[in-house]
Amino acid sequence: MTRTEILDELKKVIAPYTTNKEMLASINEQTDLIKDLKINSANLVDIIIDAEAKYDIEIDYDSADKMVNVGTCIDVISEKLNQKA
Amino acid sequence: MISTGNDIVALSAINAARTNQHKFYSKILSDSETPLYNELSLAGIPFENFVWLLWSIKESAYKFLQRHNAGLVFTPVKFVVEELRLPSAYIIENFDAIAEEGIGFNGYPALNGIVTFGEVKLHSCSLLYDKLISTVVNDIDNLENTCWGIKLISDTTHENQSTEVRQFLIERLKRLYGHDDFRVDKNENGCPILFEGNEETPIPISLSHHENIIGYSFRG
Repeated sequence: MTRTEILDELKKVIAPYTTNKEMLASINEQTDLIKDLKINSANLVDIIIDAEAKYDIEIDYDSADKMVNVGTCIDVISEKLNQKA
Repeated sequence: MISTGNDIVALSAINAARTNQHKFYSKILSDSETPLYNELSLAGIPFENFVWLLWSIKESAYKFLQRHNAGLVFTPVKFVVEELRLPSAYIIENFDAIAEEGIGFNGYPALNGIVTFGEVKLHSCSLLYDKLISTVVNDIDNLENTCWGIKLISDTTHENQSTEVRQFLIERLKRLYGHDDFRVDKNENGCPILFEGNEETPIPISLSHHENIIGYSFRG
C-alpha cells in the first residue's frame, strides 16, 4: 500500500474518535492525534486495536509509542505491512 | 520533585465489552498487575472498571513525571501499579453531587496505590464511583498537600471541557488564595501552567476531562 492509501484508510480508523471533523477532512502527516484532532488519550488504545484489525498487523508497545501524529502512524503501519509481506 | 498529576475516566464512555478483551486490556496492563484484581473483584468492582482504574493511575503518573521530562512518552504497560489498597468495608458509592472538591482524601473512600516507572515510585489516590474514576498522584505517601476537584458538566464539546475545567480550577484558587488574576496556559511541552498576572507561579497544576466529567489537581 502507498502512504496515500494508508492515509485514506487511517482516516476511517480515526473518524469515530474525533469530534473535529473539519480537521479530519484536511489531515496531513503532521496532524497530531491529541493536540489537533482532540482525540482523548483514552481512545488511543482503540485506534491501535482498530488499526491492527484493519491491516491485520500487530503493533507492539515500542511502535505504539511512536504513533503521535498521522505521519508516524503511517510509518508504523507501513513498516508492519512490509514485515508481513 | 514538585509536581502533580490527575486523570478522570467517565465510565459511561468506556466500552466494557471491548475493555474485557485480552487484546485490549493487555495494551494497558502488564502481567504482574492482573492479580491485583482479585481483591477488587470481591468488592464487586467489574473488571472493565479495574482496567480503567489502572489506566487513570498510570496516566496520572505520566502527567506527574512529564512536567519534568518533556520527552516522556506514555506507554501504559511501562507504568506498573505495584499495590492497590481498598478501604475497609468498601462499597461503590454513587456520585450524586454536581461537584466535589477536597484537600487530601481523608474521609473519602479512596483506593491508595503505588505505581512505578523504572526506578521512580509514586503514590496514588483514586476515587471510584458508579459513574467515574478520579485519580491523583504524588511522590510522597501523603496527598494532604494536594487539592483536587471533580465536576459534572453538560456540554461535552472539547472546547467547553477545556474552558470549564480551567474555570473550575481558577474558582478554587481564588477562594483559597483570595486573588482573582489567575490564568492557565500551556507550556511548549503541553503541560498546563498557572499564571498570576503575568508571572508564572510555582504551583503545579494538572487538568483532565473525559466526556461530561472534568477534574483538576494542584499542590497547595
